[in-house]
Amino acid sequence: MDLETIARELDLTDLTPALGGADAEVTAGYASDLLSDVLANAPEGGVLVTLQVHLNVVAVASHAELAAVIFSSGRLPDAEVVAKAAAEDLRLYATDAGTFDVVGRLYGLGVTGGREA
Amino acid sequence: MQTLRADLHVHTALSPCGGDEMSPPAIVDAALAAGLDMIAVCDHNAAGNAGAVGEAAGGRLAVIAGMEITTVEEAHVVGLFPTAAAAGNAADEVRAQLPAIDDDYTRFFGEQFLMSARGIVRGAETHALALATPLRLEEAVDLIKRYGGLAVAAHIDRPTFGVIAQLGFFPFEAGFDAVELSRFAPPGSPAAAACADYHLPIVRSSDSHYLEDVGCVATALTVDAPTFAELALALKRREGRTVSDA
Repeated sequence: MDLETIARELDLTDLTPALGGADAEVTAGYASDLLSDVLANAPEGGVLVTLQVHLNVVAVASHAELAAVIFSSGRLPDAEVVAKAAAEDLRLYATDAGTFDVVGRLYGLGVTGGREA
Repeated sequence: MQTLRADLHVHTALSPCGGDEMSPPAIVDAALAAGLDMIAVCDHNAAGNAGAVGEAAGGRLAVIAGMEITTVEEAHVVGLFPTAAAAGNAADEVRAQLPAIDDDYTRFFGEQFLMSARGIVRGAETHALALATPLRLEEAVDLIKRYGGLAVAAHIDRPTFGVIAQLGFFPFEAGFDAVELSRFAPPGSPAAAACADYHLPIVRSSDSHYLEDVGCVATALTVDAPTFAELALALKRREGRTVSDA
């Protein structure tokens, strides 16, 4: 599933439209608001769903080599955060939907956590 | 110059999670018994008992008025203020952003007692101090500095509520004056070693919620007097003032 399709299916707002790479294939996802946990456990190339909009989200997501971040529950990052993400080639999306619903819809599209017990 | 033992993070019965035995005179007695020369009173999102602890100390113990702010990222930031009045004004700004407590609140979170210097309950805080404020980390640090305070990244070695646990990396841009290590990160531990990279002074504080923990770890301050101004100089490592492990 590529990011462009995910964004369209979930009606996400694209916060970094100038970036390329929307055709990047995303196969896994992660949901967490504890960024130390994201850093340790998020799958490379995956998409992160979080309501944390702090600047460190970009640092953590870049370090974890994530493909994109979806901010849930209507939370929006500052312009500084968006600019940093653009510089790091990290795609950012936003939605009013809550994390649970975002993850449910991603799962329905075949994007799983890849860590089922 | 003198070397003081300071525990710069002690809660009172005002914190919902603080023991009800954490009254001003009991805290002073516990601090003196632990050989401390200075404590900082840091309740969650409030500072209503700091003045009473200072009064209870009656000059036997230096008492810094502080507050531990919970940011929107659920990171804890300790503010240390020049006076109880400054801490009170800063706390009024923080408390106002928290909802009022409801009937079930104290059952789940605990009592929030305001106490006199003699340890008499004189009221209760009506805002929900256990909750996170809407303040972003940088806003919390800025608020502390607007009231002349020092901002300390609380218990950064802990798995929850420290800035590193919540944010993954240390937020250099926030403008902290110091980082705090808990009793669980003794000198030589990996967490303590990692702190060296931040190039900020390190304080060791008990984060006491119960009397038995007051002073279980401490920071050594080499200063001219047990005052806020000297503490500020020590954290800035100016004019020969320093902080080190106690």
